[in-house]
Amino acid sequence: MPAEHAVAVTGLVKRFGRFRAVDGLDLNVRVGEIHGFLGPNGAGKSTTLRVLLGLYRATAGRVRVLGLDPGTGAAAVTRRVSYVPGEVNLWPNLTGREVLDALAGLRGRRDPAAERGLVDDFALDVRKAVRTYSKGNRQKVLLVAAFAAPTELLVLDEPTSGLDPLMEDVFQRHVRAAADAGRTVLLSSHLLAEAEKLCHSVTIIKDGRLVESGGLTYLRHLSASEVTARVPADLVPAVAERLAAVGVAPPPSDGGTLRFSVRRERVPAVLGILATVDAADITCTPATLEQLFMRHYSVVPA
Amino acid sequence: MTLIALTLRRHRVALGSWWVLLVALSGVTVPSYRATYPTAAQRLVAADLARRNVAGTLLYGRLGGGGTSAELFAWEVGAIVTVLAAVAAVLLAVALTRAAEDDGTVEVIRSNGVSARAPLYAALAVLAMFATACGAGCAAVVGMHAGRVDGVTAAGAVTFGATVGLTFLVVAVLAVLLAQVVPAAGAARLLGLGAVGIAFAVRAVADVRHVDGLNRFSPLGLRAVARPFDGDRWGMLGAYLAVAFAVAGAAVFLHGRRDFRGGLLRQRDRRAAHLRIRSTVGLAGRLARGGIVAWTLAVAAVGTLFSAMGSGVLEQSRGGDVGGFLGAQLGADPVAGYFAYTATVLGVLVSAFAVLSVARTAAEELSGRTDHVLATGVRRWAPLAARVVVTAAGAAAVLLVAGLLSGFVAARVIDGADVAARAFGYVVGQWPAVLVAAGWTALLAGWRPRFTWLAWVPLVLSAGLALLGQLLGVPERVRDLGTFHHVPDLLGDHPHLGGQAVLLAVAAGTTLAGLVAVTRRDVTTG
Repeated sequence: MPAEHAVAVTGLVKRFGRFRAVDGLDLNVRVGEIHGFLGPNGAGKSTTLRVLLGLYRATAGRVRVLGLDPGTGAAAVTRRVSYVPGEVNLWPNLTGREVLDALAGLRGRRDPAAERGLVDDFALDVRKAVRTYSKGNRQKVLLVAAFAAPTELLVLDEPTSGLDPLMEDVFQRHVRAAADAGRTVLLSSHLLAEAEKLCHSVTIIKDGRLVESGGLTYLRHLSASEVTARVPADLVPAVAERLAAVGVAPPPSDGGTLRFSVRRERVPAVLGILATVDAADITCTPATLEQLFMRHYSVVPA
Repeated sequence: MTLIALTLRRHRVALGSWWVLLVALSGVTVPSYRATYPTAAQRLVAADLARRNVAGTLLYGRLGGGGTSAELFAWEVGAIVTVLAAVAAVLLAVALTRAAEDDGTVEVIRSNGVSARAPLYAALAVLAMFATACGAGCAAVVGMHAGRVDGVTAAGAVTFGATVGLTFLVVAVLAVLLAQVVPAAGAARLLGLGAVGIAFAVRAVADVRHVDGLNRFSPLGLRAVARPFDGDRWGMLGAYLAVAFAVAGAAVFLHGRRDFRGGLLRQRDRRAAHLRIRSTVGLAGRLARGGIVAWTLAVAAVGTLFSAMGSGVLEQSRGGDVGGFLGAQLGADPVAGYFAYTATVLGVLVSAFAVLSVARTAAEELSGRTDHVLATGVRRWAPLAARVVVTAAGAAAVLLVAGLLSGFVAARVIDGADVAARAFGYVVGQWPAVLVAAGWTALLAGWRPRFTWLAWVPLVLSAGLALLGQLLGVPERVRDLGTFHHVPDLLGDHPHLGGQAVLLAVAAGTTLAGLVAVTRRDVTTG
């Protein structure tokens, strides 16, 4: 029976000595989706991912990856998973091609055509020794290996931190292609724009605990929308008063331009008020992931 | 000044460990010659034996003077301490200069308003400080015995200390110079250790072939020229200090003529080769390949040297009437005794290879590379197991080549029954001992990768028991705990294979324990 969730984690705790890096985390990733795993530095993202791969053993909680328990059979899990860690150290005396050969050889399964295509797409010179590679090039080697391997789940831990914008584009294209091919992608990131562009759903964590999780559109709708409009200057006080009546905090007036955020269910009422005063240049944008994120982290030192 | 403090702080463990090893080895062994040979008559016989023993002449040089305890000490322990000082010099010099450049820390320092040469000056200053501290330490611990052990004088102790310090300094600045020529730490280390090997060979030829003048040109011959406790000739020490300054100057000059992270020699960084592997053993084999080749060349060279030099004095000691309780030192059969002794040295060398090779698993894990391997569906214990297998096979290759060459050369230069077979047998017979070193390193790497350096402790103890145990008067029962002298004379009347079986069992047991331990813990990084 194929599992509905590629990753199903409940109540995960991972302690290092007395420090709880992950503290009761739930994480569910549906098969075939691109799932963003977000949080500030030190939130426990990498620790969680390493538990999923069986590199760390869970202190407590239930972990299933592709229906298997990585704690007891890590190799059975990783055989079907591609992993790109955030910090990429490779064997300096091997060339990029030799590293790709080694990783594919160990896995025992390989798609040479896909690999060649990826090497071209990422513009990677695989004949050079790893010693000469920049951080981005080392990351590219593992990204090529991860995308080219015939695996069901891709676990990517901040994989684009060394890539230039062009390569980031290539990366996003291949993530989408992987999802289109039915593979599941778990993408840890703190680049919110990237997650916003790519992910179907996200899980946000802080201090090893779940903060928010769900479909991206759903989460956006939970949050406030940003509204801007230009109102004739003499009408500003009256508009402010009427807005206050529907529960919107009086916006700071900027020479007739109003800018404020509104809970989603009040957007129609607010737009109605603006329409009656012939406001111009009305925009209404749903909250960005960044705003969502900042709401949880703004004042807390990581 | 800050930069010197930073360098000291960063390398304090390595600097401290080497200092303790060199000074303690000198201090502990001074009184033991007196304890082992209590009367002057016994010492004279010992000195006489030492002069006839070609293995001793080859390894430690010629014993001069009147055979006082101090002279015996400066001859035998002095040789070991200076060789260790030279090895320490290469490893520390490369760690302070080229390795710091490779890992990016020099870049960080240079980007903070520090001149390009400042990190190099700081490294040279720290190396000079270590040489001084080492010389002073050795002189102090030896000088303490002045008046209590025959032949030990304050002046002699100072000469001894200065010899150790200067040997270190000259080799260290030479290694710094070589580190400017090649573009990576590994190559610099290899070249430096190669230079130490050449220095040893030059000294050995000088002593065995009686070409005394040659000793002046080898840092390891400095001790023979300075003659601590036997005349204390200071002239050459001064010359060596001048040489050290000149070489350091040359290193600074070359440093100014190359790019950061570059070398005067270029490394070939482009190749279209494919890597055809299907298992962790394949990967471990590819990664270990270069090291195994280098070790094979080095150990085969040392083994050939031993065999080639073995002819003359063996004849002497076989014909000479070495009686009394000292006669037993070379064994009933001098040929067997000679090969057993020299093969022990090879065994120690190859065990060092085994420790380094298996310890690399820990380095792989800490750097995060093991993660990539495990993420391809490989079992948790496989990388460590693969490394042990490759190390065992590599050690077998090293010993086989060294044994074959030794046997081939020995058969041509030494007369006697089954010389070639014996030379070969004693060398290859060290394999189980090497496996034990690999085994305990695997245990540490499997249990706690950060503590893998502890694997050097039993190796140093075992080597000490094998090379100095008899001298220090260690009881046979304790010496048998060492790994190196359980090689049976296969051509003798009753070869005892029990020791070998125990060694193999210990190697297998520790390796298995390491493999079990690794599956019971998290991957360690950083």
